[in-house]
Amino acid sequence: MSNILKKVAVTMGASALLTWGTIATAHHSAAQFDFSQRVTIEGIVKKWNVVNPHTSAIIEITDEKRGTRDAEYEGHSASHFYRAGYTRDMVKPGDKIAILIAPRHDGEDGGFIQAFTVNGKTVGFGNLSPETGRRLDSSAESSSE
Amino acid sequence: MLISAATATAQESAPPDFTGVWTTYTGAPQGRASGFAGPRANLPLTEEGRRRVEEYQRLVGPERLNAAAHCATYGVPAMMSLPGAYPIEFIQKPDQLTIIFEVGNETRRIYIGDRQLPPEQRIPSRAGYSQGRWEGDVLVVETTDLLDGQDQAANPYSDQARIEERFSLGVDANGTKVLTWQATIHDPVYYTAPVTIERRYEPYDGFILPYTCQDELWYELLEMRRAQMQAGEPITARMSDVYKAREEKE
Repeated sequence: MSNILKKVAVTMGASALLTWGTIATAHHSAAQFDFSQRVTIEGIVKKWNVVNPHTSAIIEITDEKRGTRDAEYEGHSASHFYRAGYTRDMVKPGDKIAILIAPRHDGEDGGFIQAFTVNGKTVGFGNLSPETGRRLDSSAESSSE
Repeated sequence: MLISAATATAQESAPPDFTGVWTTYTGAPQGRASGFAGPRANLPLTEEGRRRVEEYQRLVGPERLNAAAHCATYGVPAMMSLPGAYPIEFIQKPDQLTIIFEVGNETRRIYIGDRQLPPEQRIPSRAGYSQGRWEGDVLVVETTDLLDGQDQAANPYSDQARIEERFSLGVDANGTKVLTWQATIHDPVYYTAPVTIERRYEPYDGFILPYTCQDELWYELLEMRRAQMQAGEPITARMSDVYKAREEKE
């Protein structure tokens, strides 16, 4: 079991199995994200826009340090969402959601969506670069291929 | 006997049919997906080619800008490497092979046979102009009239490039149908010798999904102007405002 799968399973419960897709996008300029790291955030969906070339989501998140605020996340293309098992209306404003993200390098809110669980369903995209479609090892993120 | 002979001749001369939806072949490892095959350092760049690569790497910067993120096409040959592992569709008629890559519905047309657009009427483009002919079971395509460009790994090709492509069908040891695309880039501006690349595809048991990109910008502009309208403000938002808002998020 990969590290990511372990982390997601721990965070989301043992019954939440990832749909393990062999997919990625090719077109994001995703240099601001740290694909060697994984963080799970939980919150309430404010906006969920599955589009090309990349998906955007606004999630209301809360923590002790910074209180409640809206944070914006990016994700793979609509094509890859659907191929990974996403279906129309799976995620709606007001839904409670858990998202595994590659966080931003600068530590600010936001990140790149790697997997999410909502209403008991999980969709995962695998540990693949959004730029090259190749599998990311912890040290491979800086590759410019 | 005459009929049999005629039938046999017709069968022998019938070209292979590439029609169908294809994806990256998984039966064996292939080279990098987003660039020309092989390590970049081995490409026989001219001095101008090296200058071009260095310049392009500076232009795209540490944020690694790329054309597709701005809804520009990949162009030929880059689209044929199926960047991002999206599928590609081939539609074949006797006089035309149409190839549609899912990303941005990027389309190229290969004209087969005598009916060709005169060279002086060909508009330079990222797909170029593609003229095809059959050599036995191989479709040989000459692509010219390209715009100067780079693939995602910054490998350049100039507007003087001539790409000879070869499309063929085969079957691997497991009985999987394999479409092989081979391209040799002849580009005296950037390369001291021809560069040959190859990708293989296998049938894709799925659908090409609609992939629009530029449309989103239009919707975002309308959304911005709607917000102004609903706020009772002058409706002034422009596409540059959409880009500005996007860049602020980065």
